[in-house]
Amino acid sequence: MAAQPKPITIPQPSYLEGGGILSWLTTIDHKRVAVLYLASALIFLVFGGIEAMLIRIQLWSPDNHFITAATYNEMFTMHGTTMVFLVVMPLLLGAFGNFMIPLQIGARDVAFPRLNALSFWMALTAAIILHLGWIRGGLPNAGWFGYANLTERYYSPDLAVDWWVVGLLVSGTSTVLTGINFLTTIVTMRAPGMSYMRMPMFIWSLMITSILILLAFPPLTVGLIFLLLDRFFGTHFYVSTAGATPILWQHLFWLFGHPEVYIMALPAFGIISEIIPTNSRKPLFGYPMMAYSIVLIAFLSYGVWGHHMFATGMGPVADSAFAITSMLIAIPTGIKVFSWIATVWGGSLRMTTAFFFALGMVLEFTIGGLSGIMHASAPIDLQQTDSYFVVAHFHYVLFGGVMFAILGGFYYWWPKITGRTMSDGLGKLHFWLTVIGFNMTFFPMHFLGMWGMPRRTYTYGADLGWEGLNRLETVGAFILGIAFLVFYINIIRSLMSGEKAPADPWDGRTLEWSVASPPPAYNFATLPAIRGRDAWWSLKYGRAGSRGVAAYVSGQAPQLPEPEGPVDLSHVHMPAPSIFPLVISLGIGLMGLGLIVGYYRIIFIGAATAILSIIGMAFEYPGFGRETHDPEHAPSSGGIDVRKVGIWSFLGSECVFFASLISTFIVYKSRSIGHPGPEILEIPLTSFSTFILLMSSLLMVLALAATQRGDRRWEKIWLGGTVFFGLIFLGGQVYEFTHFYNEGMGYTTNLFSQSFFTLVGFHGAHVAIGVLWLSVLLVAAFMGKLGKSRALSLELAGLYWHFVDVVWIVIFTLVYLMQTVSGA
Amino acid sequence: MSATAEVMTEHPAGELHHPGAATYLIVAAFLVALTVMEVTVFYVHALRPVLVPLLLVLSGAKFVLVAMFYMHLKYDGWLLSGIFIFPLIMATLLLLALVLLFAYLSHHLLITTPL
Repeated sequence: MAAQPKPITIPQPSYLEGGGILSWLTTIDHKRVAVLYLASALIFLVFGGIEAMLIRIQLWSPDNHFITAATYNEMFTMHGTTMVFLVVMPLLLGAFGNFMIPLQIGARDVAFPRLNALSFWMALTAAIILHLGWIRGGLPNAGWFGYANLTERYYSPDLAVDWWVVGLLVSGTSTVLTGINFLTTIVTMRAPGMSYMRMPMFIWSLMITSILILLAFPPLTVGLIFLLLDRFFGTHFYVSTAGATPILWQHLFWLFGHPEVYIMALPAFGIISEIIPTNSRKPLFGYPMMAYSIVLIAFLSYGVWGHHMFATGMGPVADSAFAITSMLIAIPTGIKVFSWIATVWGGSLRMTTAFFFALGMVLEFTIGGLSGIMHASAPIDLQQTDSYFVVAHFHYVLFGGVMFAILGGFYYWWPKITGRTMSDGLGKLHFWLTVIGFNMTFFPMHFLGMWGMPRRTYTYGADLGWEGLNRLETVGAFILGIAFLVFYINIIRSLMSGEKAPADPWDGRTLEWSVASPPPAYNFATLPAIRGRDAWWSLKYGRAGSRGVAAYVSGQAPQLPEPEGPVDLSHVHMPAPSIFPLVISLGIGLMGLGLIVGYYRIIFIGAATAILSIIGMAFEYPGFGRETHDPEHAPSSGGIDVRKVGIWSFLGSECVFFASLISTFIVYKSRSIGHPGPEILEIPLTSFSTFILLMSSLLMVLALAATQRGDRRWEKIWLGGTVFFGLIFLGGQVYEFTHFYNEGMGYTTNLFSQSFFTLVGFHGAHVAIGVLWLSVLLVAAFMGKLGKSRALSLELAGLYWHFVDVVWIVIFTLVYLMQTVSGA
Repeated sequence: MSATAEVMTEHPAGELHHPGAATYLIVAAFLVALTVMEVTVFYVHALRPVLVPLLLVLSGAKFVLVAMFYMHLKYDGWLLSGIFIFPLIMATLLLLALVLLFAYLSHHLLITTPL
């Protein structure tokens, strides 16, 4: 390879070197965390693949009984759940996102490294919980969307759905933490000069995906909490005989479920937007429109969930609205497809395996997109609902679109991650087997669907004429299985005997190619100054728009200066490893396990472990409250402390969480059967509680003001007052709940009582957490460890406290003062 | 302690100085007054026809006051406001959409069966 511009390489150990198993268990390095995600996802990909193969074997012939109907239900449920939550998202966000975000934006790590590790261990805990059904109670079996009221205890009495509910709750929490972390990192930790319009498109996609995660996961969390309460505590959130409606679950699930498609698709688009320009040796065509398209797709994706529910009878107005938004989303998606094609057009193409997968993705995803537009039309969708046509559609989107992009990303970034190359020959074989197997498996499903074959069907009759295409699909699935076997062989071969990869094997355009393969632990010895889009390309060739191909081929490319002598790393501060993320996850896992199997001692042990570990993590490092981040990133490149952005992101997500709870209360208020109803609510007591909470907010800001000016005496007084008022509020709530109970309103009395107690109870839990948080800070204040230099710690707690206050302002109005207004 | 002294702390770029105790007390007075008005509106039967819009305006004003002054969105950079306000808008739209969708169901379909 002639005249390869030399990246700045420093003879330092890579992130993979050093330490034993303990170093991996305690790692908070974003690259090692990414590798952990990668390894676990590759294992669960085998699980998901075997489940798919069993489904296809079962459908090989009519009236087949290769596996039982019950096992078949478990297989399609676990296949969907595994592929979405344990494979695709961990690979896109956990592996590629984690590894590439800091490297592409020129940072040394993510904003919250320990939170990052916690996300991984929680995700792994969730994965294990989801598979514990192998040991006891059976695997989840109600579909990956777990429609109510099939999931109620009455219809699913064993533990299978319990594993699913708890597993997804833990998994969802892990994903939200990742979303907060990624958003904060991208917003605040970009290298100097990297404006938003200079970010790599993969970073754009992850930034918007993170926002989408914060908006989409809370409705799922609320839906799962209702289901958990129904199954464990006797409520009736989805029991129609109690006046409730199972349709509520569908709304909450698809409010998550459709954005989830884009949570998976947008990073895939981002990967393709990296591979195609690099292998075309051209800048990405229409960069601004590509960025805006991501934003528009994400925004629209939040308003299209109803197209999954046309068959439920939402009415013509709602159907029309959801149809329009669903069709509109094709416009920004089309912009992306045409921009990719225009990028390839006229380029100096390098036909690598990654590029093959990228081109394959553009084609296969477009097919899935076109059938998606059909689903946007309510009358057509009604014919296709629950048929194999839908299975064909979403596999063209999620396999043809997302998995192709993931595989392309593997071949593209593998040398950077491992420092080893993969075999291009095996890669091409993998690609062609995948293309053949994929289309043979899923294209015939369009026809089977139109012929009436229902999805999730265990078997079919011989007289229906579906046998031929089903056999073709099963053969295709086996070819796909062989394709993945080749892929795994390629991985193992690369790890065992692959050639050492250079730092910049593809003549890349983004910053990750400017560091060694694999990168050192600190990523960049000196944070790069960004002069334009395609930062690394412009450093190499002068300007992002310049193709540089002529210079590259002729050997006249500019050589970057090598550092002279050892590089001074004394200014580089990397956070120390921590065992707490692993222990917290263990505690959470024990809590879930104890709940499901009914051993409450296990719940207690798990809760104690988790809470003590959280407190331990807060005080883990000497100098509590002091800025622990790299000074070059403190407060941040955006001028705002990373922790402030983090807490605001969390509060934004909490808005959606409480909106889901409040809307359920409003809906169920008027559907509630029998007494008591809203008339039981007491305005005088609650008005007093409201006054107390508002005054606690005043004391909170006064405490912060005192801390900021170094007035330690008043800091303690105002902070103590805040805690005291918080306790009074909680006492009022305990009194109110006890009073209601004595008046005959128990938790499960009717829809009103359960939705009231759940909403107000969750708010009370937030207040209790706030009181605990502020109490810890109060103790720190008395120990003389708060003070002016650590005012931010108090400000963050204050923001949480004020948020609890504003949520109560809304609850006080909508729940208490509007008690005479009928609900929905 | 000087109750009116503005807090002169160092803030990163993009953030203005936070207000002092006087501003916080004035905001608290407004919050109490608005709460009193809310409760009054609830008890005055003559206002029942406009109960919902009145209460929404009053609680909205309280929400804005706390967010702007106590949570410092008025003083911090636009970025923090955006990170909070966009999800807040989306959450409000979600709430409205769900309520309207179920209101339609309630008025057009009889799917509730007594226990």
